[in-house]
This record gives sequence, structure tokens and C-alpha cells, in this order.
Amino acid sequence: MALMINDNCVNCAVCEPECPNAAISAGGSLYVIEPGKCTECVGYFTESQCMDVCPVECIVPNPQRVETKEQLKRKFEQLLSS
Amino acid sequence: MNETADISKLTRKDFESDQNVRWCPGCGDYMVLAQVQHLLPSLGIARENFVFISGIGCSSRFPYYMNTYGMHSIHGRAPAIASGLKLARPELSVWVVTGDGDALAIGGNHFIHAMRRNVDLKIILLNNRIYGLTKGQYSPTSELGKKTKSTPMGSIDRPFNPIALALGAGATFVARTVDNDVEHIRKVLARAAAHRGTAFVEVLQNCMVFNDGAYEAVTDKANRQDARLILEHGKPLVFGRQRDRGIRLRGFEPQVVQLVQGRATEADLLVHDEQGANRALACLLSEFELPEFPVPIGIFRAVTEPTYEQRNAELRELACASKGRGDLSGLLNSGDTWTIESSESRNATWR
Repeated sequence: MALMINDNCVNCAVCEPECPNAAISAGGSLYVIEPGKCTECVGYFTESQCMDVCPVECIVPNPQRVETKEQLKRKFEQLLSS
Repeated sequence: MNETADISKLTRKDFESDQNVRWCPGCGDYMVLAQVQHLLPSLGIARENFVFISGIGCSSRFPYYMNTYGMHSIHGRAPAIASGLKLARPELSVWVVTGDGDALAIGGNHFIHAMRRNVDLKIILLNNRIYGLTKGQYSPTSELGKKTKSTPMGSIDRPFNPIALALGAGATFVARTVDNDVEHIRKVLARAAAHRGTAFVEVLQNCMVFNDGAYEAVTDKANRQDARLILEHGKPLVFGRQRDRGIRLRGFEPQVVQLVQGRATEADLLVHDEQGANRALACLLSEFELPEFPVPIGIFRAVTEPTYEQRNAELRELACASKGRGDLSGLLNSGDTWTIESSESRNATWR
């Protein structure tokens, strides 16, 4: 599933440059992940890079976007070709 | 800031200024800023009655990012300026945000005197054990042997322990929290805000650029429960992932013991008391360091004593009662010359 940033975000911006899909941006009040662009780093890394660097552990799976590894792999391929 | 907002409707947003926050990505400072902004709306204090005062350093950019009154003041002198402000305007909620260099190197003197006077200030020390703003020199809290740009062969300075220093100087509220534990930092800041007197909070903080992993053992998700001792008033000192270890006292010496049936139980352990009649327990806990002991996190000491501004108000009343109200304008306009009386005439007057 795609990842999301919860209310514990402190706007430290460390996640933004780590995302290989450029899915993370500064939102209105907190940083946000565009679900259509997040592959949990499938296709690039074995670990989700944003979760790895977030100092406050505020990046969690998005329950609204349940996706299997295969679906994430296909999303990765579609993002590459688009 | 000139508009008075309805206190009951204040939110975190109301305390965010329009300035772009300029700390390095991932800095622990963001955590403290976010949690302070989260706390303030709940305190029932008008926004215009908060003041944030800082000295110099990365931490000291804090007042720019708060939509409150504030002062980015002189290096190490924030406690002195804050003390003056609190005495002149006791109704204000005065906060000092400082770092290990600002508070403990150039400002060491002001720091200890703020602690002993018990002025009603909230002093948050962001301790990343390095000089970040000047790009990576050792600080008064850097470990012995630490290699930095200014200590290429390792530091030979023994570091300050901020908790022990504050306790030694007589602080009435002394606490420690970490920069990646949202719940804990919120609890500690709320307690500090509620304390009447100098409330000192040390935040163990990472500097991703110049001292990455500064407190890795106590912040690392996988192992931190083994490295931390969470202090809870009235509860035995238990720690570990399985909560299977504790702290026992043998004479004056603390010991880590395994809680194993037949060997030691919780009844054998030290019980935390943040309101002890003396500072002995808090001082003992402040000495705990890895790897021998877990790092204590929480409130070491919280006791109630008269604040400096209370004593100052009493002094003023006493002075007014015995000598009448002063006349500052009269004093200032009393002329440019005065007479030093001879000892004979003084003696004559006194007789």
C-alpha cells in the first residue's frame, strides 16, 4: 500500500529528497505523500526510504490505499513509462 | 501579533510564524518547535502573553518561528534577559530556548544562576553535543575523546552533565526527553509549563549533519527500550524490552538487576520520587550513563519552592511599607550633583 504522513509530522523536510518517485511535498500544514506516486520504494529499494529517515516515525502505511507488492511493482513500471 | 485572538480557539497554527524554518532537514529542532506549538494553545494563556527568548546557535532561531513575542538575544545571556523580563512583567509566560554551547559554554554562569534563583522560566536545552551553527566543533557536552573539527585527536575535556549541573545549582524542576518520542516530549513539556519556578528540560537531540547518531542508543527504534529508563513518579525503576531489569541500591551504589523469580523482584527496586526531601535520588539518577546503566528519561525532580518573582514582590512591598513608594522621576531629575557628607556630620545625623 502507499504510505502516508500522519499528524506527528514536524515538517523537518528530511523525507522529501529521499523519495525516488518524487511523491513527497510540503503540503498546506504538513508534508504529504501523493498516493498515486508512492510505491513504498518498490522498484528502487528494499526499504521505504522516507520511513527510514523520518526522525519522528510519522510515515505509516495508508489504510485507504491497500496494494500488494505486485500492484506496487506495476505502479512502479507505469510511473517509469509515463 | 497585534490582534488579540480568542484563547479558547487557539490552535497550533496560531503559533506558527510566517518565517521559513531554516534548520537542516531532519534536525531535532523541528520536533521541539512542533511540540511547543502543539502545547501552547492548551495552556489557556493569551498568545500575546508568551515570550520566547534565545541566545545564539541553531536552537536560538526558535523565536523567529513562533508567532509570539520573542527576542533573539545575546550569546548565553537569554536566562538573564528572561529573568529581567519575568521580574518586570510577572504575568507573562517566559520561555528560554538554548543549546549546549549557548547554555553551558558562554552562558554557563547565567544558566546556573537562573537555576538557583527559581525565576518562573521554562528553559529548554536542545543538547546535540556539538556546535552545529559553526559547523562541527566540540561542545561542553561532547564526550571525552570525541573527534571533531576542533578536536582532531579527540577531546580531552570532561563533558558537563546538564541534568547534574541543574540539580547541583538547585533547580526545582529538572527533566530530560528525546527528540523522536512525540508522546514523551509532549508530557514533559506540559509538566514544565505547569511548574511554577525555573523548569529545566534537556532534549537529547540529533544533529544529522555534524553529529549524526548523537544518541542513537536511546533513539533507535529496535533497541531503545533496553537503553532507556523511563522515570515515573512513585513507580519502581524497571526497564528493558521485556521490562525484566531494574535498579537496586546497595549502600550508596546503584546496581542493575535482572528481575528473576527468586533473585530480585520489583519490591527490591528503587522507587522513583520526583518530590524527594533532598536531591540525592535525582543526583544519583543523573549519573546514569550507557553502557553500565540505562539513560534516565523523564522528570528527575519537581518540587515547589517560592519563585524569585514572589520573593521580589514581597521585598518591594516591604520596602514600600517602610520607606514609602519610590519616585523614579524625582530621583532622575534630582540634579547632577550631590554632596558627600563628612563623617562628623553623618555621625551627628545618626545620633
